[in-house]
Amino acid sequence: MGLPAGTRNYNYAQDMAIFRTKTHWALLLALFVILFTAPLYCGNYWLSVANLIGITIIAATGLNILTGYCGQLSIGHAGFIAVGAYTSAVITNRLELPFLVGLICAGLTAGLIGMIFGIPSLRVKGFYLAISTIAAQFIIIWVINHWTSVTGGFMGISVPPASIGGITFISQSSQFYLIMVITVLVVFLAKNLARTRAGRAFIAIRDNDLAAQVMGINLFRYKLIAFFIGCFLAGIAGSLLAHWIGFMNAENFTLMDSILYIGMIIIGGLGTTTGPIFGVIFIRMLQQGITFIAPWLEDIFTLPAGFTTGIGPMVFGLAIVLFLILEPRGLAHRWQLFKASYRLWPFSY
Amino acid sequence: MTELLQFVITGITVGMIYALIALGFVLVWKSSGVANLALGQLVLISSWFTYGMLVQAGLPLWLSLVLIILFALVLGWVIERFVLRPLIAQPILSLITVTLGLAFFIEGAVSFIWPKSVAALPRLFPQEPIHIGTAVVSQEYLWAAAISLILFGLLSLYFKYHKMGIAMRATADDQMAVQACGIPVTKIFSMSWMLACVLAAVGGVLMSSIGGITFGLVHTGLKAFSVVILGGLNSFLGAIIAGPIIGLAENLGGGYLTPLTWPGVREVIPFIIIIIVLFLKPYGLFGEVRIERI
Repeated sequence: MGLPAGTRNYNYAQDMAIFRTKTHWALLLALFVILFTAPLYCGNYWLSVANLIGITIIAATGLNILTGYCGQLSIGHAGFIAVGAYTSAVITNRLELPFLVGLICAGLTAGLIGMIFGIPSLRVKGFYLAISTIAAQFIIIWVINHWTSVTGGFMGISVPPASIGGITFISQSSQFYLIMVITVLVVFLAKNLARTRAGRAFIAIRDNDLAAQVMGINLFRYKLIAFFIGCFLAGIAGSLLAHWIGFMNAENFTLMDSILYIGMIIIGGLGTTTGPIFGVIFIRMLQQGITFIAPWLEDIFTLPAGFTTGIGPMVFGLAIVLFLILEPRGLAHRWQLFKASYRLWPFSY
Repeated sequence: MTELLQFVITGITVGMIYALIALGFVLVWKSSGVANLALGQLVLISSWFTYGMLVQAGLPLWLSLVLIILFALVLGWVIERFVLRPLIAQPILSLITVTLGLAFFIEGAVSFIWPKSVAALPRLFPQEPIHIGTAVVSQEYLWAAAISLILFGLLSLYFKYHKMGIAMRATADDQMAVQACGIPVTKIFSMSWMLACVLAAVGGVLMSSIGGITFGLVHTGLKAFSVVILGGLNSFLGAIIAGPIIGLAENLGGGYLTPLTWPGVREVIPFIIIIIVLFLKPYGLFGEVRIERI
């Protein structure tokens, strides 16, 4: 499935290869060339949009491993991102340690906090777990807001720009390279994780956790691993976000953001590697479109003042509901259909 | 001592309102197995609708109350018919996330229609404080608690004696068997959503006539989740008992812990309770532990 007619695998390595044909490799190369030369012909504005998309893809990939592969719904993802962001900020700003230390520590701290809030997942699932992660979100944000001596509280905290070995990532284009390299690595790792023992265990747990347990999968262990990986990636994304925006407070990590992350992976397609990428690009582009078009519409039709603030959440909510009803497998599934029909054209099958 | 009595009375009465809102959740969960995470947003939009009727349109109180109930019924019907009906028999993950999408949509609609984020409702109840022993309690809380109690009573009578109420309990027990008996299950679903919306609307009106309309009302809905978790997801009795407990914990904790910890501890107490309950007794006080089979 998914290979052009006449392509046959003669050994195991060929069977397992992600990029199997020369066309695949050519397309991958073209993608990298376009991606990494983008700063040459994109303006600063679009680069910053691309940076935000990259960071969000990392976070959404983490959530996808947790929710899409392992089936553990987390509505506190923005909270875990906040843990990563603040860990990194405190380490680089208050302790003045290098950025890489902050990045790794951000991932580990967020992963550990995520594991703590994931412990109830051993005994409960579905709605109970969703509520436990909402509780996590509120407790984390409350601690951030009030632990003023460390986090700066409501006043916020400023974060120095990222720097690795003398190179400081200040401009949007230099940050673009940093973020995109990490994003590509994360997507690659996520793709491969899904094919390892752990990834297959996650899928088994998602599909039927009791059956998985009967088959000898240690539920507690694998659920906690899923929480750790998902929140580790959230922490990495948080750290990058902190160094990218430079100044933040807890307002950047609300419950609505957590819901939006879930919306992204649903729109993209749960349990696929390309899903988070499609979903994130879809939602972020929708946001761009709305910020661009809403004031314009308001001028023309003399709409009430709440239009610009209200239209965004309304459109996102509607998008989530419609995708769940009409295309629950998300854009990734549409992409598969498109590829299949393209490959078979002009024959129907 | 005075302080303690005051916290206790306020806590129990506010807790009654939480219990009322939580009942709406339990109703939907029991009959259709949908976890309604848009509860807070339902409270929010019905409070704003009350504001629209009473203040903006200037309608008399009785008419606007009738209209609010109608609005809640229509809202419940629309949500069930157009959002949840197409998702019947989908995995629980979709059922939870679709209500999240709904929550997003309602919150956007609220800030679209009522752009100012804070408003005050005219006082519905007399305001003079009442002296109970040494404590001074605002009368509004007692009125709110009384209304909640009356509604609890009416609902339990409804479930006990009314044909529809009995059908709803039967649906909660076994959907397939009920369908085989010729009871229209989809009708039960939309009834439960309509009732849930009415309960959320009543809770919203009571909350906002005391504390004004803010986005904090969404948190009222979230506190109702801690009531549900503590009481057990499928227990009406659990919700009614856990409501005042959460209210008490919130007020006592807010009163006595604030000097010891950071300010605002009151707001997270319900969430800390959620985590503790999930660690110790995940199915709540009265929740039914389901034994699953493969």
